[in-house]
Amino acid sequence: MTEENKHCYIKEGKLALPYQYFAGRIGSKFLVSLRDKKKILGVKCEKCGKVFIPPRKTCERCFEDISEKWVELSNEGEVTNFTVVRTDDKHHPRKAPYVLAMIKLGGADTPIAHILDGVDPDSVKIGMKVKAVFADKAVNTMLQIDRFEPVK
Amino acid sequence: MKKHKKNRNVAIVGIGQTHHSSHREDVNQPEMIHEAVELALKDAGIGIEDVDALVHGNMELFEMVHQPDLWHVIGTGGYGKACYRVTTGGTTGATIVGVGDNIVASGLHDIVMIIGFEKQQEGHTTGGITNMADPLWARNLQTGALTGATAEKTINEFGADRAKRAAMRLRVTLDKHASLNPHAHRNFGLDYDQIDDLMVNSPQLVGELRLIHMCSQSDGAVAIILACEEKAKKISKKPVWIRDHVTVHREETFNMFGINENQEVTHHNAARKLFGRNGITNPREYFDVFEMYDPSSWWGLDWLREFLQLEGDEHLKMVENDEVSINGSFPLNPSGGVISTNPIGATAALRVAEAALQVRGDAGAHQIPREVKHALASGFGGTFWTVLFMLEKDLDWQEAE
Amino acid sequence: MAKYFDVSVEDIFNTMEARFRVEGAKGVNAVLAYDISGDGGGKWLVEVRDDSVKVAKTDDLSGFSVKTSADAETFVGVNIGKIDGTQAFMSGKIKIEGDMALVAASAKMFTRYSLPKKSAVTVQGIFDTLVARFQPQNAAGLDISVGYDITGDGGGQWTAVLKDGKCALETGLRDNCAVVNSVKAKDYIDLILGKLDPMVAMGSGRLKLKGDMNVAMQLPKIFAKFEPPKEEEEQELIVIKRNISVDMKYSTGPVMGKFFEGLIEKKILANKCPKCGRMQVPPREVCAECRCWAGDMIEVGPSGTITLIEIIYYSSPDPLTGETRETPYAQVHILLDGIGKEETFWHLLKNEDLADTKKGDRVRPVWSDNRVGSVHDIIHFERIRD
Ligand SMILES: [Zn+2]
Repeated sequence: MTEENKHCYIKEGKLALPYQYFAGRIGSKFLVSLRDKKKILGVKCEKCGKVFIPPRKTCERCFEDISEKWVELSNEGEVTNFTVVRTDDKHHPRKAPYVLAMIKLGGADTPIAHILDGVDPDSVKIGMKVKAVFADKAVNTMLQIDRFEPVK
Repeated sequence: MKKHKKNRNVAIVGIGQTHHSSHREDVNQPEMIHEAVELALKDAGIGIEDVDALVHGNMELFEMVHQPDLWHVIGTGGYGKACYRVTTGGTTGATIVGVGDNIVASGLHDIVMIIGFEKQQEGHTTGGITNMADPLWARNLQTGALTGATAEKTINEFGADRAKRAAMRLRVTLDKHASLNPHAHRNFGLDYDQIDDLMVNSPQLVGELRLIHMCSQSDGAVAIILACEEKAKKISKKPVWIRDHVTVHREETFNMFGINENQEVTHHNAARKLFGRNGITNPREYFDVFEMYDPSSWWGLDWLREFLQLEGDEHLKMVENDEVSINGSFPLNPSGGVISTNPIGATAALRVAEAALQVRGDAGAHQIPREVKHALASGFGGTFWTVLFMLEKDLDWQEAE
Repeated sequence: MAKYFDVSVEDIFNTMEARFRVEGAKGVNAVLAYDISGDGGGKWLVEVRDDSVKVAKTDDLSGFSVKTSADAETFVGVNIGKIDGTQAFMSGKIKIEGDMALVAASAKMFTRYSLPKKSAVTVQGIFDTLVARFQPQNAAGLDISVGYDITGDGGGQWTAVLKDGKCALETGLRDNCAVVNSVKAKDYIDLILGKLDPMVAMGSGRLKLKGDMNVAMQLPKIFAKFEPPKEEEEQELIVIKRNISVDMKYSTGPVMGKFFEGLIEKKILANKCPKCGRMQVPPREVCAECRCWAGDMIEVGPSGTITLIEIIYYSSPDPLTGETRETPYAQVHILLDGIGKEETFWHLLKNEDLADTKKGDRVRPVWSDNRVGSVHDIIHFERIRD
């Protein structure tokens, strides 16, 4: 210990605050559909033809309002990329190890990140066919799809 | 006349603001921003492809989401563009306009859109501000932006009755202004005969700072499009020129509470610099309107003195004689001010936007009833941080050199 | 009884016991008083005792924990959601005396008063559209009158006169009707909306047809189906509520570190700017005005003189827990002895001193027995009363 850092200490603290997030009309329609109908909705930009999930008000490239252009997507899709989470953290949704995959659903042009379960992390492959498993309870977030599992 | 030299002249050519409310459950953050962006583009008569760069700002501890500039791109239209993210507390809205002014004046970009927003219903405003303080000391003591210190100072100086009456009169005047502004968040329909009642019965927050004195917590967004002189003249029939702006910052002042009589506050310092380098000797005479960042009626009252460099009780008299009302000789916040509408990251930008609308003559029901050629707009935040703008209708101050 | 937005003040209070939520009133022991002025107003006491509630109209509101005063229209409007409560409160239309926190808590103790659901479809509404629903191509050559005798609440008598491919509607029953339908208003609406089967209705005698049954059988063709006015279905808007709680670590650095070491030894240390001479407490590494290193530490106080008292009535959440602190409490800014004139020290005032302490009074720190080098090593400052 040098003379200079002799008086230096680390104090434990916290940052605790309540907050909320408004999903808005478009986000709510998407979440309610997942919850009540177990159907996954996207929106389509008619200018560039892209189908986005999660749905959004505008196409980021064309800057067109696409909020009314709903399309129903398949509950199945394929893994376009993945990683294996091998560390634990209180903010993580699962105990390690678990697979976080990018999944492109049938009918969509953009993949979503989600948990891939029911498979040994070491045998996940890009191109693997997977299907959505919905949560039993109301979650009202993207985890209304509880997880994806391989199509048997 | 003195002038402050800018590399290029910069004008406001487009303004868009959402309706401000505490109930925006119908839109998420990027969707709310998109409303303001669309309105500003429409107002300017240009498309997003014409915009070279974006400056995006708010206070992220208010919504507890981080890097909003990134995931707001679908609302801002920032895909593939130069984007700057600025966050300077309550001052944010003014700082983003200042950054926009600087990067257009410098020649870096020709057309820049600034975007300020806040969804205060999504967070805990007082908790958020408290958590911005020094975690080892002040965080454990602070109470957000609530303080009764200015009330106490004003009461000590002018007597309780006169001071309380003046602060409440200003509150009522600004509520009347808010009633004329369809975008305003809160408007209570207050009248001057309620002053005595409200002085006693409005609930106290801290000391003599009462609930009615304090600004609202709003959800809303504003977008302003700035352009260099060459482009501004092509785009807009009524460009509003940003003649100059100044930013003044200082060390936090919590440790001077109760003994700050001889300290120059940043508002006074900023105004002194801005007026000095532009040869403004009598700001009350020169400016036709002032959109001030007034987080509470006590601050609004006190800061009138600081900005206008007034002596004695001149600022009280201005309120008592209704000089600050929309029909008065020095209209203050014809929009209703921060006290009526306060989506914090947008708030200071709204001061500039509202001042510019006054210069254009496009403020609608809250347009002041005479020509506006020169406007003043201020931003405030953190523990003393001032940004002050002067706007002009005509590009004529340089010829006087 | 005066009604506002179709609801009287009595309606609100009479349903209050039924709207009571035991789970929202856990641990509450309070008397809520209401003084409602104007037509239909009065005085009520609502006594909440943990898991029970008693609502009584009274003349005597004494002994309340919190009293709410408002005019009848505002009170009803706020209770049924037609008037913004915050707005009404801020503008002085609602006044609250006593423990304000109970008003917010009462929103959890009672479910909101809801208007009795009215059917959007009325008999009158059905007849208003009858002529428009007439299908002349299916009524060619008909020259008859059809009578409707709709009984009960919301009913009435009508006659549809069909002639020359046109339909006219009259109120009242003509004598010469080819057929008369007699049915209760509620059943008629259900028949029209398809909720009640006509055969079942006739079989059970709820629908009576007098006259020419053949005409009666043609009626569904002569008039197009009634389309009830579309109710704007309110979209469910998702709001996600969370508490963020992130563990953090802060470095004191050597300057604040020495200050904390001082607190452990019951010493308040300030540092001094070598240029302008001003003292800083808590110390900061540099003097921000002279922009130079301010290293010298000097012990000041611990007693001092108050320069400002801030009494907090609305408090912010504790940054460590997210919990809201109890009010009122007071913060004080203190000019510590030996500090000079430029720097006050910020801390809390002992609650017992809150009532009679003012600017200029002398105070001293009350030290915690468990000092670890934190703002809480000083519990608060207390007034020196010698
Ligand atoms: Zn597109």
